[in-house]
Amino acid sequence: MIAQRIALRLAVVITVVLAQTTVINRMHLPLGGPDLLLVVVVAFALVGGSQRGAVFGFFAGLTADVMPPTYHFAGELAFAYTVVGYLAGMLDAGEESSIATTISVVAGGSVAVVLLFAALGDLLGNANISGGATLHALAGTVVYDVVLAPFVVPLVSAAARRLEPVGPR
Amino acid sequence: MRNARRARLILTLLLLSAFTLITLDYRSGALGGVRKVASTVFGPIQDGIDKVVHPIGSWFSSLGHLGSYKHENQDLHRRVAELQTQLRMTEVERQEYLQTQKLLHLAGLAQFTTVAARVTAYGGAFGFESTISINRGTKNGIRKNETVISGAGLVGRVVGPVGPTTATVQLANDSAFTAGCRMSTARLAVGAVSGNGRGKPMGLTLLDNTVRLEVGQMLVTFPSGPGGPFVPEVPIGKVTRVTPANGQIAQTAAVAPFVDFGSLDIVAVVTDAPESIKHDSLLPSSPTPAPTVTVTVTASPGSTSGGGTPSSTPTTSATSSATSTSRKTP
Repeated sequence: MIAQRIALRLAVVITVVLAQTTVINRMHLPLGGPDLLLVVVVAFALVGGSQRGAVFGFFAGLTADVMPPTYHFAGELAFAYTVVGYLAGMLDAGEESSIATTISVVAGGSVAVVLLFAALGDLLGNANISGGATLHALAGTVVYDVVLAPFVVPLVSAAARRLEPVGPR
Repeated sequence: MRNARRARLILTLLLLSAFTLITLDYRSGALGGVRKVASTVFGPIQDGIDKVVHPIGSWFSSLGHLGSYKHENQDLHRRVAELQTQLRMTEVERQEYLQTQKLLHLAGLAQFTTVAARVTAYGGAFGFESTISINRGTKNGIRKNETVISGAGLVGRVVGPVGPTTATVQLANDSAFTAGCRMSTARLAVGAVSGNGRGKPMGLTLLDNTVRLEVGQMLVTFPSGPGGPFVPEVPIGKVTRVTPANGQIAQTAAVAPFVDFGSLDIVAVVTDAPESIKHDSLLPSSPTPAPTVTVTVTASPGSTSGGGTPSSTPTTSATSSATSTSRKTP
């Protein structure tokens, strides 16, 4: 049962990261594009709570860290998504969250994940990180994630509720 | 309360693990193996998805063009739309064919040994990174740091651990990308050109201030010595705006790259290059006519045709290491 659940989550994460690299990033949308993984991590954390949110965020980030084509250090995205998964999970009140709550959590999560990644990258001497680039990344990611949130979050939450026991253990 | 405490403990453990991973990767590139496994596993999947997604993507983008047929009658309109949809599918192949042809032309001019590859995935990291995956790897003889070109010019360089059938390419518009370059007009004015992120012009820093930078001048790669990442003479871009010098030692300018990084389908990795290439011979519409590989046979009796080899005056390959490629370990 546990193995099955882990396999399922892993399959979701891999599918999402593959879709990000092959479909979403290919579109070359103005300002950047959505970060589908963030929306999925938030949706999962809102149902599963902070503990599961953090664990899910960690493995989601790690998958994104090693999925080609990237060249930042492995662990950077894992760190950022862990924090976001934990924080979003703390807002899990057990009942269906309203669409407004969902959207604001996704927006907050997008800001947090970009800032965390930028801060870590800056510490590690990543030449890609600059004030301008960070603002650019923030604008693009937040706008598109908020647009995606009303469609993706209920879908993921419903799936998570159906397939897994509800509530914190 | 117990749950909250347990969640905090798990959070701490996970964050420590993330830090450990980052440290390991930072200090010794210890996660190169993991990345290699990941590219071995996911590379073929990305390639497979690309084969499906690519035609669909361009079908959607073609919908925007249908409006121009409004003046025609309804039946014809619908018929055209149908046929266009059918054509779009082959349009993908046609585009790839055209890109391949240009690529072969450039590689042929320079006598580069190349491995052609298809772009299968695009990197992101929230838009901070500008990278692509290609569907060729070590099995095809691709190694780290090799130059990647398209028919238009410089695309980027191979980075990271190369998988058996996939490689990651850092595009030239990535902010961490830097290459040595040479002005096409001046005899030996070298500098460094670097990316500034997607959709932004590249930046040129010219180290020689006896040469005056002008709008419209073209840049080509300048090799960084044996084993360096770039082969010589690959067209990079055109100067679009010169920043006033203001008494500084180095001159700077904005450069529009020749390559459209948003529409790459077919690229080639240069695995071997000749010792020397005639200066500026690869530039588009360069002042000196570029030598072509076509053989023209003249009808005059008794004379043998010239043959295809361009009469290039071999220039000594540059050994100066004027470039610094800002690179990261993985």
